[in-house]
Amino acid sequence: MAGKIVSIHSFRGGTGKSNTTANLASQVALTGKRVGIVDTDIQSPGIHVLFGLNEQKMGKTLNDFLHGKASIREVGFPVGKNTGEGAGRAQLAGKELYLFPSSIRGQDISQILREGIDFNKLNEAMQMAISEFELDYLFIDTHPGLNEETLLSIATSDVLIIILRPDNQDLQGTSVTVDVARSLDVPNLFLLVNKALPKYDAVELKKDIEEQFQATVTSILPLSFDMAENASQDLFLLRYPDHAWSVALRNVIPYILNAE
Amino acid sequence: MTVNILQKIRETDFFKDLSDEACAAVAAEASTRHFAAGDAMMKKGDPADSFFVILEGTLKIVTTDAKGDEIIINKVGPGESIGELALVDELPRSAGVVALEPVEALEFTKQDLFDLLARQDVSLGILRGFSHRLRFSTTYIEKVIDWSQKTAEGNYSFLDQTQPLVTPAGSDEAKAAQLLSAFYSMVRKVKEREDDLKEKLERLTVEIDQERRKREFEEIAGTEFYAKLKEQAKALRQKRNSG
Repeated sequence: MAGKIVSIHSFRGGTGKSNTTANLASQVALTGKRVGIVDTDIQSPGIHVLFGLNEQKMGKTLNDFLHGKASIREVGFPVGKNTGEGAGRAQLAGKELYLFPSSIRGQDISQILREGIDFNKLNEAMQMAISEFELDYLFIDTHPGLNEETLLSIATSDVLIIILRPDNQDLQGTSVTVDVARSLDVPNLFLLVNKALPKYDAVELKKDIEEQFQATVTSILPLSFDMAENASQDLFLLRYPDHAWSVALRNVIPYILNAE
Repeated sequence: MTVNILQKIRETDFFKDLSDEACAAVAAEASTRHFAAGDAMMKKGDPADSFFVILEGTLKIVTTDAKGDEIIINKVGPGESIGELALVDELPRSAGVVALEPVEALEFTKQDLFDLLARQDVSLGILRGFSHRLRFSTTYIEKVIDWSQKTAEGNYSFLDQTQPLVTPAGSDEAKAAQLLSAFYSMVRKVKEREDDLKEKLERLTVEIDQERRKREFEEIAGTEFYAKLKEQAKALRQKRNSG
């Protein structure tokens, strides 16, 4: 069975997309699956920080692959062999988790913005990552909104998880994304609510959103200051597994693992 | 001493474990006091030199708040005793006691009490009474600790599992039960407020501008890029499903 592409998307920025992607992918890797994460947010990469990568430690990047300067083998960063500091990340030691980072060098980013992305090449990167690393799951951290590389990620997804905050601006944007995903025949379309204020009744919220979009809300993650404070330093779910945010996020895992 | 007083002594918490003979000795030692409504039986800060057993009437136990206004801490009535512990620990009166109606009470001075304690049947009876109270208190305290822990965890199951306590008014058991029942009703009110708050949770009004949604979707789907992408995605899925 070929590896599955799991795209994590949100219409607007600030939904906690990179954090959610990194934590979900890590949790799946902990179950023994072979997992990859591609940062296709080429304009504003960020997920590498959660795995303790900085400009010095970062080797070849997705940009190098897209420009024909590196093979996908060289780009895949084995997190399980370089967990670095952080009690959460340390649990990934020996696990098969590979990060395909986007370059954080200013000149690389401006080159991409200037020249655009070769979509066939990006698609090739994803397919090759799956085959060369024998991945069970390839997570894609997308750029917010519906630009062309994001549309490609959505189009190639087996599982699409749209993260939204419970406010009307996010709901409006999500409605368009849902329509696009349906039109592109994404087989498994899920919603994930993040940063839910405690004043909202989670049960009603889930019901209302599911009714509106005719799609499953996998979980409602509470707005958490603990999470906001600790984000970008470590993998929150692994470090604080009993925290309400972590417990709620783990509810999403079966939807990914059981997706056909 | 009349038979009436002897009977009333037997009914008090403090002396109820005494034999008839010991009760008669107590009755002989006590002096009967009468208080009119509004009279002070004790004043806060006074030295503790005697204690009272109430035969008739009710009194209020009072203290003052920071502004000097009176606060009623409790009420006491027939069968209850006041001030006996102070005779032992020798601390000044911690609160005032004022009659709410005509009151008849037995007064025992410190010397009266010590004389009575010299009789083994009296001291044993009083000790027995004290141990009963202590035993009750311990049981109730354990209960309150258990309930406190459950409440802290948000486990209110004991509210349904516990029957409201019915105990004869004025008994020692009732006093201890008062704490328990105050705690019980406190938790019940906390739970009610919590339930109320849950019901008051807001419901997000999901408002989606359907026309805008349609327009924005068509803007994306109408491009040449999108049409090509849709084709590619379809081909890719077919290829992957077959491979």
